[in-house]
This record gives sequence, structure tokens and C-alpha cells, in this order.
Amino acid sequence: MADMTDMADTDTADMANPVPAPNPVPAPGTASAREVSRRFRPPVLVALAASGVAVIALLVVAGGWLTPYDPGQQDLMRGAAGPGDGHWLGTDALGRDVLSQLVAGARTAVVGPLCVAAGALLLGVPLGVLAGYRAGGLFDAVINRFADLVYAFPAMLLVVVVVGTIGDGYWFAVAVVTLLVLPAQIRLCRNTTLVQARLPYVEAARTLGLPAARIMFRHILPNIRPTVLATLLLDFGGALISLSGLSYLGLGVPPGTPDWGELLRQGQTLLAVNPYMSLAPGLMIIIATVGVTLLGDWLYDRGTAGTDPR
Amino acid sequence: MTYDAQTRRTRPDREADGTGRTSGIGGADGALLSVRRLHVYARPDRAHGPRTLVRDVGFDLAPGRTLGVVGESGSGKTLTARAVTGVLDDGLRAEGQVLFDGIELLGRPERELRPLRGGRLAMVLQDPFTALNPLLTVRAQLRESLAPGTRRDRVLASAEISRRLREVGLDPDTVAGRYPFQLSGGMRQRVAIAAALARDPELLIADEPTTALDATTQAEVLALLRRLQADRGMALLLITHDLRVAFSVCDRVLVMYAGSVLEDAPAAALARSPRHPYSLGLMLAEPPVSHFVDRLVSLPGQVPAADGVADTCAFADRCEWRREVCTTTRPGLTPLPEERASACVRIPEIDDELRTRLLGRVRKVPPARRRPARPLAAPGEAPRTTSTRDSARHAESTHRTPPGPPSGRTTGLYGHDLVPTTPGTPPVTPDGAPFLTVEGLGKTYGRSGTYGRMSSFAGPTRSSRSVRLKGTTTEPMALRDVSFELREGESLGVVGESGSGKTTLARCLLGLTRPTTGTIRLGGVDVSDYRKLRRKEHREARRLVQMVFQDPYSSLNPRLSIGTTLGEAVTAGPDPAQRPAELLERVGLPASYARKQPGELSGGERQRVAIARALAVRPRLLVCDEPVAALDVSVQAQILQLLREVRAGYGTSLIVITHDLSVVRQLTDRALVLHGGEIVESGETAALLDSPRHPHTQRLIASIPGGN
Amino acid sequence: MSITTFVLRRLASGLLLLLALSLLVFALLDASPGSPLQSLLGTRPATPELVAELRARHHLDEPFALQYLHWLSDAVRLDFGRSISVQAGTPVVDMVYGRAALSAELAAYCLLLVLLLGVPLGLIAGIRHGRTADRSISLLATVGFGAPVYALSVVLLYVFGVALGWFPVYGAGEGFADRVTHLTLPAVALTTVLSAVVVRQTRAATVTVLRQDYLTFARLRGLSPARVLIHYVLRNCAPPVVTSAGMLLIAPLSAGIFIEQVFSLPGMGSLLLTAVAAEDLPVVQGTALLLGALVVLVNLLVDLLGFLLDPRVRLHAAGEH
Repeated sequence: MADMTDMADTDTADMANPVPAPNPVPAPGTASAREVSRRFRPPVLVALAASGVAVIALLVVAGGWLTPYDPGQQDLMRGAAGPGDGHWLGTDALGRDVLSQLVAGARTAVVGPLCVAAGALLLGVPLGVLAGYRAGGLFDAVINRFADLVYAFPAMLLVVVVVGTIGDGYWFAVAVVTLLVLPAQIRLCRNTTLVQARLPYVEAARTLGLPAARIMFRHILPNIRPTVLATLLLDFGGALISLSGLSYLGLGVPPGTPDWGELLRQGQTLLAVNPYMSLAPGLMIIIATVGVTLLGDWLYDRGTAGTDPR
Repeated sequence: MTYDAQTRRTRPDREADGTGRTSGIGGADGALLSVRRLHVYARPDRAHGPRTLVRDVGFDLAPGRTLGVVGESGSGKTLTARAVTGVLDDGLRAEGQVLFDGIELLGRPERELRPLRGGRLAMVLQDPFTALNPLLTVRAQLRESLAPGTRRDRVLASAEISRRLREVGLDPDTVAGRYPFQLSGGMRQRVAIAAALARDPELLIADEPTTALDATTQAEVLALLRRLQADRGMALLLITHDLRVAFSVCDRVLVMYAGSVLEDAPAAALARSPRHPYSLGLMLAEPPVSHFVDRLVSLPGQVPAADGVADTCAFADRCEWRREVCTTTRPGLTPLPEERASACVRIPEIDDELRTRLLGRVRKVPPARRRPARPLAAPGEAPRTTSTRDSARHAESTHRTPPGPPSGRTTGLYGHDLVPTTPGTPPVTPDGAPFLTVEGLGKTYGRSGTYGRMSSFAGPTRSSRSVRLKGTTTEPMALRDVSFELREGESLGVVGESGSGKTTLARCLLGLTRPTTGTIRLGGVDVSDYRKLRRKEHREARRLVQMVFQDPYSSLNPRLSIGTTLGEAVTAGPDPAQRPAELLERVGLPASYARKQPGELSGGERQRVAIARALAVRPRLLVCDEPVAALDVSVQAQILQLLREVRAGYGTSLIVITHDLSVVRQLTDRALVLHGGEIVESGETAALLDSPRHPHTQRLIASIPGGN
Repeated sequence: MSITTFVLRRLASGLLLLLALSLLVFALLDASPGSPLQSLLGTRPATPELVAELRARHHLDEPFALQYLHWLSDAVRLDFGRSISVQAGTPVVDMVYGRAALSAELAAYCLLLVLLLGVPLGLIAGIRHGRTADRSISLLATVGFGAPVYALSVVLLYVFGVALGWFPVYGAGEGFADRVTHLTLPAVALTTVLSAVVVRQTRAATVTVLRQDYLTFARLRGLSPARVLIHYVLRNCAPPVVTSAGMLLIAPLSAGIFIEQVFSLPGMGSLLLTAVAAEDLPVVQGTALLLGALVVLVNLLVDLLGFLLDPRVRLHAAGEH
């Protein structure tokens, strides 16, 4: 088995050299072998990130049973206060339990971004693969112009202006964010597909006369999967930032909905009274976004370590 | 200058290392570079323990002499050069002794090596496309390489730069102000050589300096190196995979294999009589360009990893003279007469046999290891099914079955008489109506458009790669008025250098690119534009012609097992009942390979699978684009032989696209030479190669290393 | 000749982008809830005089395309109309002028920090590839890359403003020293997020460059370490890093909305946000379009810089004409 891995390493080194030479390998690629093994080791950080993401997932699924209080239950007598009386993270201006709102907010925080990521997966990936496989066509050109347009402007600015002015609630915001995520997703899939489409294994499949759909989704897609997965995670994180950010600006969820951005906004005015009210949701957002970013990086490295021609 | 003083005081230690074997002989006192017991180790990591990549290498190089280090990939030749110059990659460590004019180089800090580098010893790298700073002009890169005194004086520096450029055959007025990407590969390598030699070093190490270049350029750059070396009396250490190159340039040759030196001999003596089975195998495995050989000889199996052969002769596994003694200890280099050494313990017994084998190109399989000759399919015979006890090794061993009796004499590649196995005529003489007709084929490339360009800047890690690919592949390639015919069962060679349009031609035939003008008729159907074909026609056209790609590493989908890849190909063919196992057997691989992933296979094995995939649809024409260019020399003949057998067994026509004239000689009946997108000469292969008419063809033939 | 062609082409595509944005921004008037007239009236009483004036001023009786053309020709002369509710009656341009200075100061402060921190850290991480320094820097960069600026700002605000009391938590301050103190926390928050991208880019570029043959060849010719660092490593890292610098200049605008909200800074972002909240459409339109113009300009400058830094791009562009 040791010999097998050895060979695989040599092969990667081979592929790293695009010059058609009878003897292209400098030496059994030891540096790359090291790199590969280093990448495959799940580092402590990735484990931490994964557990952070897992905890949030647990809150989303089982949050209802975990909250000590009803997140909407007011206690005007108590009002805003720091931790105490069984309120671990204190209460907000209306005396609602912060911890319960935090737990309930996980669902709001995650649902929108999940939809965005799903949209990116269901629309962005197929369109991107299609654009890449038929690069140079009309569809490709249209997609690229649109991507240029979106890339050229700060997306958040557009979201704030459009959502703030037209303002049709949370799901409208989700739709706008999806629309702005799509071009990046499509272009990324397009570019990675383009690289694959020029490789001999795809040309061999074309020469055999296999149907285009089969080549795109059975041959190319599995080979760009690491990139797709990583970007979907990044899309998710980005959407979480945008949507919670909108709530933070008061443009997202309707007031009264338990939501991290909303909590952060209200908590900021009470920073001196109950800092946990803003720190806790702030940290939750950071854990969620950094967690998925780290996971995405790791998945990408792991997925590309063995097969990427680089 | 401090080093000079040091040199005079410390003399290199030249004692044998006490184990009874000397690592390197030949040089004597006064060696400029003296390497002893050089080992290169990879630091341990998760996947591997500490690994030895180069084992006990030793040699001497006297001032003004030329030493060639020859080996296939993984032989450790480049690592040896990098260890000597102290530029090993991170994670690699060298041990032993490297004395340069008496100065120990190993373990010396970068700060102390710097004054030596450039000034006294220099190195040229393999790939001219990446060796120069893309953002500096040629002038700037030469200027920074000059000695400080010259460099700082503006007028002096400018004159010196011009002189240096002229010395390597470049015109300073047109070249000095250019950036590397504006120059061809050959020009870049000349610039790199000028930069390396800008301070007149005493030793130049050239690591495969011509491998990335076209044949004609290769010959020019080699001639340049030879001239520069002779003019200056400079020592030259030439790293190459090509024995012919080494023989044409070097005084002495070191043959490396899997990290060890197997033979060390004066070049002429080695060419005359190799004293190691591997050296012989390497010489015989190179398909000759001068004449057709009935049965190509190849080494079975593939190069092992250096680390796997610590306690055995590195070559034992592929050696037909192997005895038990070969696999129990690692043989060291043993001195032989004529200032040479061999690492074969059996050399006293088999020496004569090796010499006979080279002279007669007759291979005798020892009775103990003889296996029944089992060709894939004899001419005119249907492919035979055989039992499953078969293995890759077994199948490959068929390639060294004894060929027919000698019948004629010609002058061999290595400058002495040898006997070809058959006269220079190919076995199949096709007749009948043209099966493929190409008429007035033309192709011009438009600009790739904004996005093609932008995508190369998509990410910093990828950009360098795509830019580099740009530099090497998207040179203005076009076809102009190309017409030819191919009859059923015929084999046609398409010869050309990079940019000649030969790959474009292949892609047009396969419908991977649409020609701008002209028609391609295949089996009576116009396939100039595959998109215009009806569904049924399309399917049939796809079954008529298949392709074997140059790069076996990217021609198989890395995510699919071999069995899945072949199974899918079968569904596209006329006989869905075929099993992957049958296909594998046809290309000499065991059925068990169906379960393997491409990553588990060697280059040669992958190329076999690629051929099997093409055969799945029973094509009548197989287009092979540089089918062996990416493979090690010892494996190339296996694939050439397989292609011949495919042709003989199935009557498949071949179009062989290649830059390699020996491939043309061995594989084709007719050939055409493409130059700048046009056919400049065509004819019977033997006639074309033996008496070329067009100057370009003559130039191609003249640039074969070791030729006239 | 090549450079003018290059600039003209980029300028043309920038203008095209601006045109698209202007259409979007103008369409907001129709897309917002209620009729355009209602939107323009805001909370003001609908007196016949006011209605007539608004109709005339915004050409509400004409078809959409003509309305747009009128609006656009005004916009080109920087006339975006007057504020409805935020500062009723004030010309939009004047309001933007009043806010732009603070945003520019914040962006400049932040840019300075990014250049002083991000680029060197990225270089160090790239050079020490795979070692402890690289891992620590990369981790910090990933955190900065993933963490939203508003969450980070609130944490910073609490730790350094409220708990430690080192920095003011509110407003922009008067005079240079006071302004710097007030802008430090916002700039640090912004820098953390932006540096992350710069560090990642610089690191990736450095790692790539360090693997190149030309670096080995430079060492083999005995070039001095300083020359190798400056002419080989830094120069070859520059083009990809500069390409990402456009984002550097644009991100303060985007993130500025949040930063100015967290730290109560009266800049462009907060103006836009206030206008959005107050449904003051002329202000929203004017601010958005001006920011868009700024973005186009910045992108143009970055392209130009990349053009000057990399002869391959330069000569490729020249070869096209």
C-alpha cells in the first residue's frame, strides 16, 4: 500500500509539469507529498470549526426544547439587566431572556442563508457548468456581462438600497442576496469547468460521442466538486453576514422576531447595561461564519490535494 | 577570493569510504567538482517515513571536462544537480561530500554559497519558459548577472550585455529590450545560458537544458553549449534523459536509476559496450530512427521508487539476468578496466552477452524466465482470448520475444555496425479506396476573447500556470490548404514541431475543432462540422475515429475507476456486451485493473488504458497525438509495439502525430511533414527519412542527436 | 498609443456600468411602494402647488423613458434634486459633500493600516509557508475574512470603548488628534476585515512566486537577497495583489454603512442608510450613483496600475490594436 501512495505522489508531480517533455518529473515530488499529507490531516482548528457549526446546527434543529424561557415572553418590571435570576445572559429592554432569543435566533439566522446556498447550488452550478462547457457562446457572454455588473459594485450597498427602498420583507432580501451571489457562483463554476473541459479526458469523452449532459455532470462535475462545495459554504457564510447585517441595520426581519442581527442592534444601545446582549449574538455570527469559512477551506484543500493538476 | 586561499590549503578527501566500494571513479587529483557518498533524503511526514531519494552517488569532474548524468524520471539525476548547487526544495536534505575546488558545499549557508554561485559555478534549468523573471527585460536580467564591477559601470555593462547576447547567437538590438514572454523557448534558453555564464564560471551544470525545446532548436542549443564549453575550457555537468544527447556532448557518462548510479564510464566506451543490463536496456529501448525494426524491444515493468530498492539491485525487478544474489544486497559500483565501473554483480559472467545483444540487437530470453510468445494478435488473425493468469508484467514480457534472423547490415545509432532484424519495410501494405479524404483544410484562430484572457488572472495560484500554458500552446497555429488521403489499414505519420499545426489537424479530424475551410470525408461522410451531422451520422462518425492523447495523466478521468471509464466507452460502441476485462486484456493489462483508479497506474499503464478506451468502439482510424512523448524511454517501446499490434490485429488505420522521427519510422508507412501549417513534404516513410528533399525535413533529420 | 486605447476602453466599459446603475437607481422610484408622486411627497401634505411643482420637476406625466432621460441629464450635472425628509429642501449634492470628507478620512486611515499590516503579514506568511508564523497569520486572516464587520465592531467597541475605556464610543471628534482617536476603533475594525483579504492574496502570491524556477535561477546566479526580494518576489507578487486592491478601496464604502452605524459616524454610509430608512428617494438615488461613479473610477485606476506593473498585460493590450 505504501508503494501505491508513493506512485500517486509521483503522478501528481508529473501532472504539475505541463511542458510536453519525455522526462518531465524533476524527482519524486517530495515537497508535494508533504503538502498533501499536511492538507489531509484534519487540524485542531477544523475540528473546532466543525464543532462550532455542529452546535449551531443543533440549536436550529432542537432550539425549541433547549430554551429556558419563551423568547417572546416579556418582563417589563425587570427590563434590561445583566445576568442573574436564571437569565444567564440577562434580559433586553422589554425583559425578554437573551439566551432564549439567542437560541431561537439560530433558526432565523440559518434559514435564509441555507436558501441562498440552495439557490446557488440549484441554479448557479448547472448554469456555470453549462457556460464553461459551452464557453464562448451567447449564454456565456450574457452571464459574464451580468457578473461584471455585480462584481463592479459593492454588493452590500446594492442590497441595502434595493431592500431598504423596495422593502418587501425578509424573503425579498433573501431573493436579492441570492441574485447577487449567483454571478460569482456561476462564474466560478464556469472557470473551473473551462479548465476541465480542455483536459484530454473530457475531449476523449466527446470523441466517444457521449451526450453533453453526461460529460458535464458525470465527468466534469465530480472533478470540480471540491471547488463547488467550498464556494457553497462561502456563499452560505456571505449570505449569513448580509442577512444578519440587514437585520442589524433594521432592514431585515420584522421587529419582534428573535434574530442575531436584531439582537445585536438593540443590544448595542444597552452595551453599558447588559453587554452580553450584543456580545453573544456577535460571537455567534462570528463562530458561524468563520466556522463555515474554515470548513470550506479545508474541504477544498482536501478535495484538490490528490487530483488537482496543480 | 577567500575561497581561493582556502582551496590551496584543504585538499579534498579522496579515500574510498571503507565499505569496499568506491562511489565514483575515473577522476583523479585536480578534479574541479568531486562528489562522494551523496545521499538525498526526504524528511518524514504523515504519509511517509524518511525516504531516500538519492543513494550513494559519487563522481569527479575535472576542469574543462564534460560529464553526463543520464536517467529516466525518478532516477535522482536532477536532485543530484540540485544538491550540488544547494537549491534542493524544502523538505529535502543532502548528506555526503560535495567538494568544489576543495570547498565543501554541502551544509554551507546560503550567505557563503552566494559568492560562488554565478561567479564560479552556474546552473541552467530545464524549462526556459519559467526560468526567467517575467517582469524584467532581457537586458535587466543580464545586467544583474554580471560581475559587480562591470554591472555598476553603465557603458561597460551595456557593451558587455551586447557581447554576451551575441555570444549565444542573439541579436542584442532586437532582444535586449524584450521581456521573456516575447521570446521563443529557444531564445529564452539562450538568454538563460548567457545569464548563467555572465561571470564566466568554471563549472556549468545544465539540467535537461533542451528537453522543453523543439528538435531543431534542441540541436542548436546543444551545439551552443558544446561550443561555449570548449571555448572557455569550462567544466560541464549535463543532466539528461537522452543517452544520444549525452553521447554527443559528454566525455563521461553516469547512468542513474531509481536514485543510484548503475554505471559510470567514458562515453565512447559506454556506447560501444554497456556493462550494466539497464544501460543496455536503455540503449535498446530507444526506437531507432535509422531503420525499421520488426519487433521493438522494451524493458518490462516500470521504474521503481528509489526508496523501495534499498536492499536490492535497483534494476533487479526488470532484469532478465537476475539471480538471487541480485536481490539480497544492494550492489555498489565496482571498478572495471578502462576507467569504468558498474553496479552489476554478474557483469563478469554476462559481459559478453550484453555486448552481443547490443551488436545484434538480438535478445535471448534465459530458459528459466522464458514464457510462451503470445502476441496480441498476429497479422490477419482475430484477437485471441487468453486465460486470466496474465499480468501486466507477463504481457510486457512478450515484447522481448526473439525476433527473426538478421538479414542485412546498416550503421546503427551508436556509431557501429549493427544488424536490423528485417529490411526497412513495414509489414502491412494497404490497398483499396481512400477511407479518409482531407481536402484544402484550413484553420485560423480568432482571438480567444476577453474572458479567456481574464480567466488567466482569476487567481494568483493558477495564473502562472495559465500564463505559462499560453506561452507554450497558443502560439499562432493554423492550417493552410492541407490535403491528403488515407487508405483503410494504412498508417500515416504527421511530423512537425510545435506551432506546425499538427495538433490542430488532429483536433479537426476528431471534430474537437471546426476547420475554417476545406472538407474532411470519413468513410463517405462529410465530417468537417460534426454539429451539422444528423444524430445517427454523428454516432457512426464517432465510431469510425478515436484518439490517443499525449498526456496519459490527464486523459483519464481521475474520479472514475478504470472499469467505469471502459464500461462507459463500451456503451458508445457497437457491441455493448464487451467487458472492460476483455479490453484490458487486449492492451496487455490484467483484468484486475478494472477496479483501480487512474492515480494507481503508471504513465505507460494509463496510456494502455487510453488505447483500450479508444478500441472500445472498434474504430477504423486511431489518431495518436504524440502517444509516447510523455513517457519514459524504457516504456515508450511498449506503447509503440502495442500500437503496431492494434493495427496488425484489427486492420485499424493510424495517424501518428509526432515530433519524433523514430516514432514515425517505427509506426508509419507514409508520412507528411507540416511546417507553419502547410505540408512541405510527403511520401513513403522510408524514402522521406532516408532522402529528405525539403530543407525543413532535412533540418529535422540533421538535428537528431548523435546523427550526422 | 496603447495606454490611451486601454484607458479609453476601460472608461467606456465603466460608463456603460454607470448607465446600468443609473437605470436601476432611477427605477427605484417606480419600484418603491406607493406611486412615484407619493414617494416624492413623503410625509409632506399634498398641497396642489407642491404636487404641481413635483410633477413638473420630475416630469411625472411623461413616459418612463423620458423621465429617465430628464433625470439622467440632471444627474450628469450633479443635480439629483432636493432632500425630501432627511434635510428637507437641501440639494442632495450638498448633503453628500458634507459627509464625504469623513468617509474619505476613514478610508485613508484604514488603507494606511492595511498597507502597513496586511502586505507585510502576507509576505511573512508566504515566506514562512507551512510553519508556525504562517499558520498563525493564516488563522487570523481566516477569522478576519469570515467575521462580519459589524459583529467585530461591536466586540471592539465593547472591549476598548466600554470595558477598557481607551477610545471614544461615539461620534467623529473635532480637530486632527481628536479625529484620529475617534476614527481609530472604526479603522481597526475595518482594517481587520480588509487585511484578511490582503493577507490571503499576498500570501498566495508569495507562495506561488517562491515556487517559480526564476527564483531558483536568481539564487543560482548569486544575486543578492535584497535584489531577489525586491525585483523577484515583490515585483511578481504585485500584479495579483494590486488586482485585489480595487476591492480594498471599494470595501470601505460597503463596510462603511455598518461601521458608521456602529460608531455613530456621520459619513456617506450613514447618510445612505438614513435616507433609505426615511424613504428620502432623491438622497438615496444621488448617494448611490455618486458612490457608483467612485467605484468605477477606482476600478479604472486599479486596472491602470495593473497595466503599468505587468508588461504581459501591457503588451497584450497593445497587440490587440
